[in-house]
Amino acid sequence: MVLFPLICAFLMPILAHFKKEACSIFTLVVVGTVLLIAAYLTIIVLPKWPYTFQIGHWTAPWGIELVLDPLSALMVLTISAFCFLIAIYSLRTIRMEVPLEKAGWYYTAYLLLLTGMLGLMVTNDIFNMYVMIEITGICAVALVLARGTKEATEASLKYLLLAVIGSGFILFAIGFLYSVTGNLNISYVAVELTLANEHYPYLVWTAMGFFLVGFGIKAALFPLHLWLPDAHSSAPYASSALLSGLVVKVYIISMIRIFYLVFGPEMLTGTPMGTLILVLSSLAIVGGSFFAYTQLNLKRRLAYSTVAQVGYIFLGLGLGTSWGLTAALLHIIIHAFMKVGLFMVAGTVYFQTGKKNVLYFSGLGRIMPVSMGAFTIASLSMIGIPLFGGFLSKYALAQGSMQAGGYGFVVLVVLSGLLNASYYLPIVWQAFFTEEKRETFHLDLVPMSMMAPVLIITAGLLYFGVTPGGMMAMIDKAASVLMPGF
Amino acid sequence: MLLFSMGCLIILTQQNLIKKVIGINVMETSIFLFFLSIGNIIPGGPPIIRPGMEDVVYVNPLPQALILTGIVVSFSVTAFALAIIVSLYRFYGTVYVDELMKMR
Repeated sequence: MVLFPLICAFLMPILAHFKKEACSIFTLVVVGTVLLIAAYLTIIVLPKWPYTFQIGHWTAPWGIELVLDPLSALMVLTISAFCFLIAIYSLRTIRMEVPLEKAGWYYTAYLLLLTGMLGLMVTNDIFNMYVMIEITGICAVALVLARGTKEATEASLKYLLLAVIGSGFILFAIGFLYSVTGNLNISYVAVELTLANEHYPYLVWTAMGFFLVGFGIKAALFPLHLWLPDAHSSAPYASSALLSGLVVKVYIISMIRIFYLVFGPEMLTGTPMGTLILVLSSLAIVGGSFFAYTQLNLKRRLAYSTVAQVGYIFLGLGLGTSWGLTAALLHIIIHAFMKVGLFMVAGTVYFQTGKKNVLYFSGLGRIMPVSMGAFTIASLSMIGIPLFGGFLSKYALAQGSMQAGGYGFVVLVVLSGLLNASYYLPIVWQAFFTEEKRETFHLDLVPMSMMAPVLIITAGLLYFGVTPGGMMAMIDKAASVLMPGF
Repeated sequence: MLLFSMGCLIILTQQNLIKKVIGINVMETSIFLFFLSIGNIIPGGPPIIRPGMEDVVYVNPLPQALILTGIVVSFSVTAFALAIIVSLYRFYGTVYVDELMKMR
């Protein structure tokens, strides 16, 4: 499953050499196949997990092991589904944003990124995890670079430098873990670590700190988020949706895996590390929202909003309670829905009207009612209004805070909902309720390939908002992998 | 550890982008050195087991294999960073960060 997009990615430049227009269709077919495989695997795995696969038939402590439990199955499904939608969306947008001779390379990077993310989800080996992190990181930088403009080049260099520092920290932490446990397989490291922790507590704490800094840079946790707004706002729209909705999240998932499976939740709450995550994530929620409020470029505003939302996820996992974990996992998926949808709408607005600045959005609701309707739904969900998807994760987060006895965080969640409202609702208000006489009412003039993914995502958001049962069951199953006795 | 912090410092403080890339390399090399020193056993020989000499003390070969992968990764990152710097240089005509900031 992981290998398939990898092989296809390397076929892509050859295809691009002969027939440039066919690349996007080919990508679509590849990602669609991956989606089908992922769905099939999920159905197999759900009754009896974990499903493990040894690469090269070397048994567990020596060989590299891939594992598919409900958590990774859920994430693999989410990733391939969103990659499929974004591939549909990029059929048209990439043609307008990326020069034709580079489109083949763009799709190469796209498929490699998909490979990296899927590999990161299913791997059960910390060094393999590092390699996948590097693949994902480099391809993400390549996607930012794709437009080839001045800003994009600068942003991608910044992203690359910080990503390399981040993965350096992660590799160092892996070195520490290897030195105290002598294993690289996550399950074996976890067993050994309970013994090693008594002998070398400080070394283990150092490893935890290094993992936190490394993944914090990668996932744009608040003081380490500096690369994110530049990178996400100068990338093509399809890449921004992918980067903001998924790439940041896969790092968080691997971090959750390491912190909960290797170190264990008791160690998270028992050490200053848990407190540190809580403080940083609270800062991220407030700071990200404030920065988002001051931005006028819609893409930058969405990018800073991602910083704030990452804060929610970290808050959930820093709480170290079962509800907090549920909230973090739920928010990862729901936020993928919301942010991919919002970036896609930003793209459609830009392609129909050429507008990027939110001050000029007045009357847009009359020109493009479908896009702005989708934008409204996603915004309301972002604020956390009941009946929309975002309410679920906010509710779970509040439950988790109460479970951990932190009533201050409940206030924080409510407050940040208001902050979100302050930077999303003015756009909606302007779009629909400002009088502009010369605009006549008609439907959007955007091609169907751009509209369809937006509509699917919006429908999904509404569906999960109204009937959360199925989603919650999946998340609970995934959380039970991470926390025994859940 | 010293090399690691030195590399980090170089990346953060140097104005020249090429020197930043060198800083990355210093940092990664320090990590490789760390890995190798984990696997090292002082009287150990190379991990080649010849027939009849099975119980020889040898250094742990696994970190060496890992570092081989790590070197490939750091090589590709370096190449990519240098390529981006070249295209930046075409846009701005400089590799110094402060001059880049001024030109924006």
